[in-house]
Amino acid sequence: MNSLFITAASLVSEADVRAARLGSRFGRLDLASQLALLAVEKLAADFDGLGRERVGICLTAAAGSLSTDAAYWNGRAGVGGPSPTLFAYTLPSAAIGEIAIRHRLMGPNLCFVGHESDALSEAAHLILRGEAAACLAVFCHVVTPALAAMIQWSPAARAGALLLQRLDTGLHRWRENDRDIAAMCSLLSAR
Amino acid sequence: MRESVAPNSPAVAIAGCGVTSAVGRGVASLRTAMRTNQSGLRACERFNGPLFQSNIVGAAPLAGVGGDLDDPAHQLATEALREAREQAHEVLAAIPETRVGLVLSTTKANIEALERLADGRPCSTAAQRHLQSNPLAADLAAANGASGPVQCVSVACVSGLVALQQGAKLIQRGVADAVLVVGVDHLSAFVVAGFTALKAIDTVGCRPFDRDRGGLSPGEAGAALVLARADLAPLSAIRLLGWGNSNDANHLTGPSRDGSGLALAIRRALDSAQLPPSGIDYVNAHGTGTPYNDAMESLALRAVFGEHCPPVSGAKGMLGHTLGAAGLIETILCVLALEDRWLPGTPRLVFPAEGAPASLLIEPRSAARLDRVLKLNTGFGGVNGALILGHE
Repeated sequence: MNSLFITAASLVSEADVRAARLGSRFGRLDLASQLALLAVEKLAADFDGLGRERVGICLTAAAGSLSTDAAYWNGRAGVGGPSPTLFAYTLPSAAIGEIAIRHRLMGPNLCFVGHESDALSEAAHLILRGEAAACLAVFCHVVTPALAAMIQWSPAARAGALLLQRLDTGLHRWRENDRDIAAMCSLLSAR
Repeated sequence: MRESVAPNSPAVAIAGCGVTSAVGRGVASLRTAMRTNQSGLRACERFNGPLFQSNIVGAAPLAGVGGDLDDPAHQLATEALREAREQAHEVLAAIPETRVGLVLSTTKANIEALERLADGRPCSTAAQRHLQSNPLAADLAAANGASGPVQCVSVACVSGLVALQQGAKLIQRGVADAVLVVGVDHLSAFVVAGFTALKAIDTVGCRPFDRDRGGLSPGEAGAALVLARADLAPLSAIRLLGWGNSNDANHLTGPSRDGSGLALAIRRALDSAQLPPSGIDYVNAHGTGTPYNDAMESLALRAVFGEHCPPVSGAKGMLGHTLGAAGLIETILCVLALEDRWLPGTPRLVFPAEGAPASLLIEPRSAARLDRVLKLNTGFGGVNGALILGHE
């Protein structure tokens, strides 16, 4: 039981979000949180079996929360001023809260703005250090057309999730600087 | 949940600190404020108007305020890093730049640029680049002699404590011998209007743990710490002894009512430092001044320490809530407390709330023993962080 394995993986797009049926609360989330939550849902993980207090969440938000930031700030002139609901999602880590609430996960959390591989590597290290028994590595990249026009980026809306566990077998064995994992991250990034 | 760090993992020490905040430039200004229980909160005319619940904020002495400062995040971070690197000069001089990393803690980076772009106001290319936190981290690393690993952490108001942990982990993993950990968030209409929308601001300035508290006061700061392998730092340097994190799994913007999530983080930190609760001499609380946060934090402390809670105080009546810088500037305050054996007070606290710890410190005072300090932060998304630091 000394090896780390990716035991489940998922990729979702904005089309998947439109088709999702995750209850009324889901519709009130920002797009980044919807994508991330749906990616974790698609893992169909047995969190009861893992011990919810010991499941960590590592998230990389490649573009931070800038799309939600722009939507929130563009609403400042509306009736009643900027939206308090949207303000709560102007943090890159907001999706972590939504995942933790839905699945009642009380393990440690990390959130990076940067490359997708940060989340996977740090998820592995949380397990290796004994801080978590299992860990979700979640990647999220959202650039809405409104933000893309403002900062000259390409629009994007996708997320992926991997579940990392200390097991004897799984979808893929984790090794630091693993080229297969790097390829998987690139796939997530490029999709 | 004990950390399973390899037995030969190096201890991590704090070799230098730097800060610019509402109480002034430099660590000396923070020390004076700590000694005198000074509050840096004051009225700021930028925040007059219907978008803002109050104009009482913790504004730093930034050059160009009221003028055309379009990259305040970079300025605050740069000032803090300059001072921290000066303090750690001898340690850093012995370490190749490729073995020096940087971890940035921020929630909004240079959000000033978004406001300017939305309004059609002038905004330099650099300021626009720093709207994203990872280019800001990369530029700070390049300008400050950190050619090693660079990370950008953003975990709401726990970001600072998580960034310190990440810096320590990079050293313990052997990928760096020193890490510049820098936290920054600047005052912005974006953030003050957001907390106004949530009705989370105390109109007369925040009063942590006070019976009449009415919310937080937004603040801004740049705060930096140089972490280094303890064998490369002076023997007297304060060390990071352990940490723990958790999630309430309860509510996106509100803390759990019973404090169980924060209590879990504290227990994890004690376990990681291999200390019993009685090993803690002082607690620096998150203490936002919002009714629910302070009540939750009081319950968490009672759950862990029972009737024997060590002295507790909070710094947000001094500095405001500096978001991504909060965990770092408040950790620097803890370093000063440990160095001076001085228990900080809680500026602006007058009447302790019912249920607040009996050991709550209104005024600062000297301490006969002050060897181990517990630093707490909590944040949106239900995140909780606890860090223990102290003498070797």
